[in-house]
Amino acid sequence: MLALLTKRLARSMMRSKVRITAVVAMVAIAVFSGLSFASYAHTISGMYDKIYEDSDQGMNLPDIWVENPSGTWDGQTSESLCEHISESWEDSDLPMNECEPRLKLDGTMFHTVSSNEVEEEKLIPAVWHGIDEGIVDRVWIPDHQCCSGRIASDDDEIVIDYRAATSLGVSLNDTISIGAGSGRMSFTVVGIGFQSNHLYFSQEGSLFPAEPGTFATGYLSSEGLERLANLSEGSSNLLLIDVIGTPDYNIPTTDEEEGAQLTLIVDNIDDTVSQATDSTTLVYDRSQVFSVELLRSDAEGSMLLYTPITGMIAAIAGITIFLSLQRLVQSQAREIAVLRTLGIPRAAIMPPYFLMPLAIGLFGSIIGTFLAIVWGVPGMLNIYEEILGIPILEPTNLDSLVIQIVSLTMVVVLISGVMPAIQAARLQPLEVLRGQHEIRISSRRVQEITSNLPATIGLAIRSSIRKPARLSFTFFAVGLSMLLFGSTILMMGTMEEVTVGTVEEDQNWDVQSNVLPGEEGEIIEWVDGKGGDYERIIDFPANPVNDSRVIMVKGMDTLSTDNEAFVVLDLKEGSMPVKGAETTQILIDAGINHFLGWETGDRQSLVFGSSSIEVEIVGITQGEIARTAYLHRSDLAKVVGVEVTAVLIDLPEGQTIDSDLGNVSIGVVEKDDLIQSYESITEQQQSFLGAIMFLGILIAIVVLFNTLIINLSERDREIATLRVLGAPMNRLGWMMFGEHLAIGLIGGALAFLFTLAGTQALISTFIQWSFYMTVSADPTVAMMLIGIVAFISVALTPYGMWRIKKMDLVEKVKDLSQ
Amino acid sequence: MELVSIKGLERYYEMASETVKALDGVDLEITQGERIILLGPSGSGKTTLLNCLSALDSPTAGSYSFSGNQVPKDDSEAMTSFRRENIGYVFQFFNLLQDLTVLENILLIQELSGGRDESRARNLLSLVGLEKETDRFPAEISGGQQQRVAIARSLAKKPRLLLGDELTGNLDSTTSSSVMEVLVRACESEGITCVFVTHDETLVEYATRVVRIDSGKVISDENVG
Repeated sequence: MLALLTKRLARSMMRSKVRITAVVAMVAIAVFSGLSFASYAHTISGMYDKIYEDSDQGMNLPDIWVENPSGTWDGQTSESLCEHISESWEDSDLPMNECEPRLKLDGTMFHTVSSNEVEEEKLIPAVWHGIDEGIVDRVWIPDHQCCSGRIASDDDEIVIDYRAATSLGVSLNDTISIGAGSGRMSFTVVGIGFQSNHLYFSQEGSLFPAEPGTFATGYLSSEGLERLANLSEGSSNLLLIDVIGTPDYNIPTTDEEEGAQLTLIVDNIDDTVSQATDSTTLVYDRSQVFSVELLRSDAEGSMLLYTPITGMIAAIAGITIFLSLQRLVQSQAREIAVLRTLGIPRAAIMPPYFLMPLAIGLFGSIIGTFLAIVWGVPGMLNIYEEILGIPILEPTNLDSLVIQIVSLTMVVVLISGVMPAIQAARLQPLEVLRGQHEIRISSRRVQEITSNLPATIGLAIRSSIRKPARLSFTFFAVGLSMLLFGSTILMMGTMEEVTVGTVEEDQNWDVQSNVLPGEEGEIIEWVDGKGGDYERIIDFPANPVNDSRVIMVKGMDTLSTDNEAFVVLDLKEGSMPVKGAETTQILIDAGINHFLGWETGDRQSLVFGSSSIEVEIVGITQGEIARTAYLHRSDLAKVVGVEVTAVLIDLPEGQTIDSDLGNVSIGVVEKDDLIQSYESITEQQQSFLGAIMFLGILIAIVVLFNTLIINLSERDREIATLRVLGAPMNRLGWMMFGEHLAIGLIGGALAFLFTLAGTQALISTFIQWSFYMTVSADPTVAMMLIGIVAFISVALTPYGMWRIKKMDLVEKVKDLSQ
Repeated sequence: MELVSIKGLERYYEMASETVKALDGVDLEITQGERIILLGPSGSGKTTLLNCLSALDSPTAGSYSFSGNQVPKDDSEAMTSFRRENIGYVFQFFNLLQDLTVLENILLIQELSGGRDESRARNLLSLVGLEKETDRFPAEISGGQQQRVAIARSLAKKPRLLLGDELTGNLDSTTSSSVMEVLVRACESEGITCVFVTHDETLVEYATRVVRIDSGKVISDENVG
């Protein structure tokens, strides 16, 4: 009997081939995207741990960094600081393994490019590390086609980062010309590899991977970098401390204190170093290393997101199956009533309604798994390798993920059959055969609200909300499907705003030239020679009291919201700081306000190495990705003892930077390169993002189409009545148009709200101290979403009209008389 | 005055194995103000004749003129216009719109026909004895009351010919009589010609003429009023 009843239901469902195909496709999409995304999340999560591990193949990522941001320590001081740290190390479960002094400097790579047989030298901002064969934070040259060679051992050898080597066409044994503020020198490339600070290959302050050819990093021997920077032997500005084992550390995205032990050690080292040296120092763990934290955050976000994404698409499929089955139960009420009258028990009516979603789910899952294995998983990992340039040595095993994703999808899909099955089993044969199950009283409240409207409009409104549960499910499903589309647009808009928008509109300079303290004179001479304008600034790191998180404090001559200023501040609230105030006045960015709860009018302390000052917060700015505070340069100079760390340069039309500037700078950043990085990543991801947006719209079309078709077919009886009574097609058409427009507008508005909430939730999974942004309710995106959903909905009107037109009124009259 | 003139009307249906002659040369003339009852066994062709009269269906052959004009055929919109301008229809199962109140069900038909006239709608409800039920939903009133609303609805646009298919088939005999009395009163008051299809011989008392059909042919036609 079960087989016959299931066959009966299957045949009924197969009459709606388009709907069945759409539902199977949705299940396939859920499994496909879930599996592709899960494979990506699991692969990269495990991969970073392996890259960072203390083994022959790993880098051995340090556990604590001690940084001197204002200069360098000589060899003796470096050794002495390590000794102090070792001596003051308290007995704990985390014994110190190594303290290794390191030199890391901003610099320039002089790269010659040939265009139309003319050779031109390009200045590429760079970061150079002096790394000998040490114990901590080694250069990583994996056994992979990306990389080759060995680490630098002589003072004229260098290992170039794989991404820089690829984009600049640098190969093993090439000679390259580089500088670090003291002229230029040539180095021989002996290796191509990676380093932990630049595993995520971006310029400082940029959220996106550097545009090829706009950034370089290299790993020299310590003697090599000392020679390049004209520094004495053993100079360093970093102490890398390794603890035996892999200690827990505080993860910025949680409120928990995961690394209490490590925090104690960090505080202890901070005290030790402050007492041992006059120089400003920053002590922090891996959570404050941008590349390390961003990659962890990406992996964690992916792990968190793939289940909801799979569940979300499966839920849309489930809702569509649920609505279709519910409609089927309704249209088959008489058949079910006859079966019940013939003595078929309730328990026999229910199983087919569970089996159908299972069959749909299984079929869709097989297709989705096949597509994911053949296309989705390799595609996703290829996109990762192409964009980040990090080689994937060992993709994750898919077996357990297939079981996990398919099970999740099947459970969601199976749930969709529960309600229709119960409804089918609960049908009362007598009521159905008398036609009483279709009789219901319309809402009096809705009637009162619409009583003053013309009856056609009143009918349109009441018909649309006749089945509030179905409409709600539809809106929910449309909202979810548009979430894919809308959040992609909103995320891109937000990203563009905080990257390109901020740089393009709020930064009125062409070049930022970084200098060693007190050495800006030659740069200003160069600018004067070019007829340009300039502004001296101080970029200096600080942190809150008893908090190792870094705030970049910017000292500027002009703090202004004026569009002509070198840096245009976007003041969210408050006023501009007054120069030389008794208590130093500062502006903080919205991220500091968010994470520390600092408000306008508060007085707080900022720690600059060993010295702490009280500051008064007079305003909050917005648009900064990294945590930033602004104050007058003269006020900052008094605290840190440095007058200038960089010069912002505005060049006249036609003037460009040249090697003279590169020779006297420790790093040259061009504004256009920052903008290009974002545009390049957008371009790279265009087809991927386009596919996601297309998918979202496609699902929204299917969901809306399904509901509107059900709505129409349910109203066959009343539309036939109206047609028999002489209602003209055009009036019915306008009535239907009005209904679809209303459903579209409401669905669109809800889709926007879903999108806003979803994007905010998405962003909140990866915002943290180092990169903060907020989503704003962009009216253009709102209009676009509402417009798209309304358009899809209204576009179904012609189908409804065609359906009415082909309605056989003679047959319908027979139905009306039965 | 002659309202309907049907000559040699045929309606054939091509089935897989045979041709079914639902109407096989029907001649019928209807004068303004008549109340005709069409009687006949199941499958005799009376509903098909009603469908042709209302221009829901197009005859295979023969002619059908209404007030001296040929009734359109095989043109859905022209047939709809004809129905809108001339025909009222009452169904066995009332088919009121559940989401509209009694009054709104009548207003809707007026709006769809191009002219909302609330006072006429209320007068019609008064005529069928439902002036106190205007704001109720169909599910809140009895079957007989629903059928009276359906009659008021069919009269709302002032049709010249009112058609009914087993319009008391779903009602008990007391309610049937009350509905028919209302219908006769309303049609006389509005000067509307009526044709009703039924199996129920007792309804003959409300007719002025009885036409019997069998096998697609008129087998008797007698005045009774």
